[in-house]
Amino acid sequence: MNSALLQFATWLSERSFSVGLHESFYMYNWIETTHVMTLMLSFGMLAIVDLRMLGLAFANVPASKIAERLDKPMLIGFTLMFITGILLFTAIPVRTTQSLWFRIKIVLLIAAAINAWLFRGYLLAAKGSWDADAVAPRRARIAAGLSLALWCGVIMTGRFIAYDWFDCGGDNPAFIDWAAGCVAAE
Amino acid sequence: MLLSFFEWLEASSLGVFMKDLPATFAVVEAVHLMGLALLGGTVLAQDLRLLNVIMRDVPSNVVTEQGHRWFKVGLWILLLTGVPMLAGVATKCYHNPFYWTKMIALAVGILFVFTLKQPLLRADHATLKPATLKLMALASMSVWFLVAASGRWIGFSG
Repeated sequence: MNSALLQFATWLSERSFSVGLHESFYMYNWIETTHVMTLMLSFGMLAIVDLRMLGLAFANVPASKIAERLDKPMLIGFTLMFITGILLFTAIPVRTTQSLWFRIKIVLLIAAAINAWLFRGYLLAAKGSWDADAVAPRRARIAAGLSLALWCGVIMTGRFIAYDWFDCGGDNPAFIDWAAGCVAAE
Repeated sequence: MLLSFFEWLEASSLGVFMKDLPATFAVVEAVHLMGLALLGGTVLAQDLRLLNVIMRDVPSNVVTEQGHRWFKVGLWILLLTGVPMLAGVATKCYHNPFYWTKMIALAVGILFVFTLKQPLLRADHATLKPATLKLMALASMSVWFLVAASGRWIGFSG
């Protein structure tokens, strides 16, 4: 699988739009800036919803109201994150494919998505029961705490992609090279 | 004079601590980004509410009051991580135009929020002119965007 991924990444890196993105100072850096700025919309709105569940913000507004009203701006944020993220990957595909941090980030993103999906059903059933309570029940608080922790992990691993600590070809323990999916040079 | 302060900061134990291990800077930097998300999120929630874009059925007084509480938490996270980051690369920042852009924008932003926006918004919003509220929101989003974007660009140049 790792060699197939690397093959795809190598193919992508040879396309002219990949080279163009990689070599354009302003284009690449503005995409990167947009990716970071959009954290305010995606993670920012998500954090407000999670803080509401924990009873730490907007305690006097029904929980489902906060979640529903912030749903749209949050999803706009995540869409922008996704688009700019794909572009950033396109600009540097080979190194990113073999990045330990990128791989951990993807796992955390999947975990966060599953957590959000499970929580969504639980929240929809809340109307008329704990909705107006200042602090949500334990299960909602656990989901909110988990959501905050996972996204902090996403931000941290995302930022670490830029560092070359565990790049393939470096002096890494075998398990690091395995986790990063390094394909031995032929 | 000013440069000597930046040189002193970089040579201080805080500056040495931030430079000693590459991971120290990276971790502090990541927490700085979490603070950015919180500060920016609360700025957007308040300002988009004042512009009648989101949460229209939640009173804007409630949104700005609650938003400002967490804005202050975000600001503290950013200041407490920003100072060590500066200490690690102080002399580089001194020669970086984006750093100074950010610092000026940050000073304007803090003054704007604590001496103008917040004192005004503590009043019942129904007694304020809608145009005042909207201008306040646009000014706030602009200045914090400038702070965040110029901050990101410190790392892109030299």
